[in-house]
Amino acid sequence: MISVTPRALASQQEIRDLNNLTAEQVALKIQNLNLHYGDKQALFDISMLIPKGQVTAFIGPSGCGKSTLLRCINRMNDLVDICHIDGKILLHDENIYDKHVDVAMLRRKVGMVFQRPNPFPKSIYENVIYGLRLVGVKNRRELDEAVETALKSAALWNEVKDRLHESALGLSGGQQQRLVIARAIAIQPEVLLLDEPTSALDPISTLTIEELINDLKKQFTVVIVTHNMQQAARVSDQTAFMYMGELIEYSDTNTLFTTPTKKKTEDYITGRYG
Amino acid sequence: MDNLNLGRHISGQFNEDIEAIINHVMQMGGMIEQQLTDALTAVNDNDAELVKKVIATDHTINQYEVDIDDECTRIIAKRQPAAGDLRLIMSISKSVADLERIGDDAEKIAKVALESFSSNQQDLLLNLDHLGRNVLSMLQTTLDAFARMDVEAALITHKHDVKIDRAYEALLRQLMTYMMEDPRSIPQIMTVIWSARALERIGDRCQNICENIIYYVKGKIARHLSAEELNNL
Repeated sequence: MISVTPRALASQQEIRDLNNLTAEQVALKIQNLNLHYGDKQALFDISMLIPKGQVTAFIGPSGCGKSTLLRCINRMNDLVDICHIDGKILLHDENIYDKHVDVAMLRRKVGMVFQRPNPFPKSIYENVIYGLRLVGVKNRRELDEAVETALKSAALWNEVKDRLHESALGLSGGQQQRLVIARAIAIQPEVLLLDEPTSALDPISTLTIEELINDLKKQFTVVIVTHNMQQAARVSDQTAFMYMGELIEYSDTNTLFTTPTKKKTEDYITGRYG
Repeated sequence: MDNLNLGRHISGQFNEDIEAIINHVMQMGGMIEQQLTDALTAVNDNDAELVKKVIATDHTINQYEVDIDDECTRIIAKRQPAAGDLRLIMSISKSVADLERIGDDAEKIAKVALESFSSNQQDLLLNLDHLGRNVLSMLQTTLDAFARMDVEAALITHKHDVKIDRAYEALLRQLMTYMMEDPRSIPQIMTVIWSARALERIGDRCQNICENIIYYVKGKIARHLSAEELNNL
């Protein structure tokens, strides 16, 4: 994995061995994760380290388990009755599936944004502070500051600063999605999960969101599921390719898209019949 | 290119585009091979007509290079190739640049035929022809390895360049002796040196193409490596 010859260009030096990260470099540790929906096994023994402050993409064909894996990270699958999970996901060396873990607290640390923008039928302002209100923040100035910071981080501030108290439903799709991201980051999570965040958006809004993801990784660890391989190639630092519930290949994005080691990965990313 | 799996894209149009590029590279390779053969024959037979033909064909080869590169650019823009497809396109784009330069070198060699050599200088040409045949054989094996994307053949051919370098140095020493013996022959001998140099460069460009084959098949950079490092790739 690690090249022996020194690279001439700094941008080439980012290739790392994803199995050998130091404790400070790791945001999430997934260990031997298996997931069943009733009798059907959807994830098979997934183990991987997700680095801190970087963008990790999950790619793979429909039904490969990438969204399921993403949803495991903030226990969204708890809502599915027939879902059974074993294995561990460690956040700060604590298994998020331990009995004493408060799921609401977990979701404060691990925010999520979905495929379709889902703003609440409230004002832009109220949407952003929704999470803060839930945890009891009442101070007006604190809320105002949080709104400004979150909207700026989500690259939406300049477009909405004069209409904060108008309905969020009046925004365009791309703006709504950025608003939802602002809502997710207003509570300062550590990890941000993005489940196909641009699949319902036009190309320009998509590029805005991709640009935003690049900025967000300075503050958060980002994990993104995408159907769009070029998007994974553009935005992520490392990419995991999944197929039929298994993690087939996980490596830095530059390597995965130029010299994948597994034939299944190669077939998928080059658009061949499997 | 039967080991390439090229026909398995879900997009039939993509398959066709890639096949078209490969066919054009093969045509170009065939023309280059003919150019070098003609250049060597022209020198051997002192055939000015054949030199003209070589010069004229070089324009067509230049156009091939431009067109194939253009096809590569279009595939990158429209298909965003990844992994093996991307490496193939990059290898082709680099290899056609080398092929085009081999064409230029062949033209330089052919022009030696336009010089007049005295009968006692014919030995020089014979030695040049010997080097030329050696290089031609390396070019043929290179093109053959490229056509089949055969990494083993590419490695063997890559190593062959050492022999060509040695033959070139030996020829150079011999030419220097001639120059010292008879300074009046220096202009003609210089022409021979330039074309020997061109032949030696063709060997290097064949090496580049072999490195592109290795990059495509193995995904590993084969440039600037020692023979030992290359074996361990």
